[in-house]
Amino acid sequence: MSSLGLLDVAAGVLAVAGAVLLAVLVGLRVRRQVRQVRAERAAEPHRARLLALLCAEDDERAGILDTLAELDDHSWTALEPVAQVFLGKVTGQASSSLVELFERRGLAERAMSDLGREGRIRRARAAETLGQLRHQAAVGALLPLLRDADPDLRVVAARALGRMGDASAVPALLGALHGRFAVPPSVVVLALTALGPDSQPLVAEGLDASQPLVRAVAVEVLGAVGATAWAPRIALALTTDPHPEVQIRAARALGSLGAPQALEPLLDALGPDRPESLRAVAAGSLGRLGDPGVAGRLGELLGDPVPRVAATAARSMARLGQGGEWELRRVLGGIHGDRAARQAGAALAQAAISKGRARPAGDPTVET
Amino acid sequence: MRGALFPVPGHEVLIQVIHVTDAAILGYFLAINTAYLVLVLIAAGDFARHLRRAPFAGYDDIAASPFTLPVSVIVPAHNEEAGIVSAVEAMLLLRYPSFEVIVVDDGSTDATLERLTEAFDLTEVPYVVPGEVTARGEVESVHLPRGGAVPLLVARKRNGGKADALNLGIDLARYPLLCMVDADSILDPQALLAIAKPFADDPLHVVAAGGVVGVANGCTVLAGRIAQVRMPQRLLARIQTVEYLRAFLLGRTGWSRVGGLLVIAGAFGLFRRDAVVAIGGMDPDCLGEDAELVVRLHRHQREHHRDYRIVFVGEPISWSEAPETPLILGRQRRRWHRGLTEILLKHRRLIGNRRYGRVGMLALPFYVLFELLAPVVELSGLVLVPLGLLLGAVDLTFLWRFLLVAYGYAMVVSLAALVAEEYAFHRYPRWRDLGGALVGALAENIGYRQFTAWWRVRGMWDALRGAPQVWGAMSRRGFTVDTGDEDAR
Repeated sequence: MSSLGLLDVAAGVLAVAGAVLLAVLVGLRVRRQVRQVRAERAAEPHRARLLALLCAEDDERAGILDTLAELDDHSWTALEPVAQVFLGKVTGQASSSLVELFERRGLAERAMSDLGREGRIRRARAAETLGQLRHQAAVGALLPLLRDADPDLRVVAARALGRMGDASAVPALLGALHGRFAVPPSVVVLALTALGPDSQPLVAEGLDASQPLVRAVAVEVLGAVGATAWAPRIALALTTDPHPEVQIRAARALGSLGAPQALEPLLDALGPDRPESLRAVAAGSLGRLGDPGVAGRLGELLGDPVPRVAATAARSMARLGQGGEWELRRVLGGIHGDRAARQAGAALAQAAISKGRARPAGDPTVET
Repeated sequence: MRGALFPVPGHEVLIQVIHVTDAAILGYFLAINTAYLVLVLIAAGDFARHLRRAPFAGYDDIAASPFTLPVSVIVPAHNEEAGIVSAVEAMLLLRYPSFEVIVVDDGSTDATLERLTEAFDLTEVPYVVPGEVTARGEVESVHLPRGGAVPLLVARKRNGGKADALNLGIDLARYPLLCMVDADSILDPQALLAIAKPFADDPLHVVAAGGVVGVANGCTVLAGRIAQVRMPQRLLARIQTVEYLRAFLLGRTGWSRVGGLLVIAGAFGLFRRDAVVAIGGMDPDCLGEDAELVVRLHRHQREHHRDYRIVFVGEPISWSEAPETPLILGRQRRRWHRGLTEILLKHRRLIGNRRYGRVGMLALPFYVLFELLAPVVELSGLVLVPLGLLLGAVDLTFLWRFLLVAYGYAMVVSLAALVAEEYAFHRYPRWRDLGGALVGALAENIGYRQFTAWWRVRGMWDALRGAPQVWGAMSRRGFTVDTGDEDAR
């Protein structure tokens, strides 16, 4: 074929492709708008009733619930997405009403059935629904999903297990932290912290795990839920665990727990031979403990060659009340050198402007 | 063959050369558009996957979790007095559990600092700058809001350029994730949550994530947020809207999927602080400092045998005003291409080097062939094709078919990008916007491509001869601000 012929063919192909794409573009928009209008029309008459259910007193609740539970399938299909949005946002009686409505509409049953069917998207959606409904009967079916090859499905399963509050899921959640198909630690931590006090002994078993990540997560969870009974065990982890990440999380957890046993291990963790991140976190945790007796030791850190350690120690001193401020003034006077004096001056100035007000965003102990 | 208008010695040889060159240029056009089409198709697949998984993405959990990694949002500002207060107010209202905003006033000569001081009741405080990343411009002062209730820090330094300002912000940042945002960017409320999600999902590997940048011209802004997305009124901005969709949204999503993302726009990107500090922060000597940072991150991670990911997130969006005059657009494109040239020269060792995996073997060669050289080839075509016409080597019948195929293919790629956007995000709700986008896709080939090719070639030349770096002022028309009056919309 000549070059002109080739160009003609190419132009023809492009014209057809352009026309098809244009048709698809218009078709997509028309389909979406038509669906949107239909869904809105179908949901509109019942939207007010759904809102009434969320605000209903006990005596009206049953009646509204009955009406919504008996809606025809077409109306319910349109209303269900609206109700699901509310489910993630409301609590208390409103949440219970919605859960009951979904149960009566057979949503949990359907989701349970979907969990066993093919298709990862279908199973992940089902797991999400069951988690939102806190459908306890699904725990057994969700546990195997923590080892699924699909990372999103594993995450959804872990979140759902956390919402259900069944402590029996703890070993599986901790086990999901390692292996070929693992769940991100932040997801596991959030799920474990949602499980309630019954789960604490099972979480604490993770402190003896062979995998450092499991030990680190167990420490973090116990600190976050305020499990003071485990403070001595966490203090031991700070002192004896061979892995720096476990030590760092133990130092942070001890700061959250505020237990007196934490003081000595945290002071030891400030040593110049310990990892920089650990020293910074330990300095922050000492500030959270609030014992003015540590001000002198923290004051020595203000001249530390690692800026993060020095700055965190200075901020911690400012949190110790009058004892801390008195020590900061001494350091400002130059007892530990110019560098320390500059840190002390900065901490005093920052404390002065924020006096009496808490920091709303972030926690200084979660610094890099 | 037709008779030549201007017969010259060696005519036959010249004609042969022109024939071969024309064929090469056509081949190049087909190759470049095919490459873009492949990227668009990969991105479309990614969008489909993303859409199906959106119902269980878990943003509410990330937003509520105390374990979500905190973010330091760094905003470099130079003479931004007009919009800095509303920009910072909007950033402070982002939906995210824990973050701070650091504004670095890079030696502004206007009242940027004064506006911030009035709005947030700032007071100057002594501050010890850690010095983990070096900023060249001396730090003149650090300011914090009285009461400590607002997580804001403003640092004023001597002018040293955007990269230098970012370096100070990186140094001052207290949190493990750094979000770099332009002072004139408008972020969607969910933007931070969505761009941080890859770090939560894969915390051991993700070191950087880029977010989409959309064209804000024509959109309605309410309380520092985009309230209504609209196609710009002016043709130049409309063309750029289509261009941004194709090249930024879909092109980068495609590269992210392939594992060869090289550009994260300075207007909106999230980075792991330790990874950025390890490579010394931004390069203040490079005009394309945002892309240079990403290339250097790739290089560092590869050279240290790290298993890492640099990803692009199609979901969140940052909106920026696009140039609406040829003069400003020309400056921008010249600067961008100069930046690209500098980056490719600086990191030339990576190009075609197997040690750097897909970045070295695929992404960088693509950038050399289809980004760096594209304007040169396009301008060559603009010169050689008329020359061939004059010499009789090309006849009109061939020429119009040639142009139809070359630019028609480019339009088909743009249409494919519009289809992908409509399917996944449908951010432009009105039929009028769709019409405007189609006009933009068509008009891009008539004049716009040719002028941008010229500006880009000049940018490349600037880099090669080491001309002084000039950012140039971006004159802004501002956004349509919603006053609550329906008529104003």
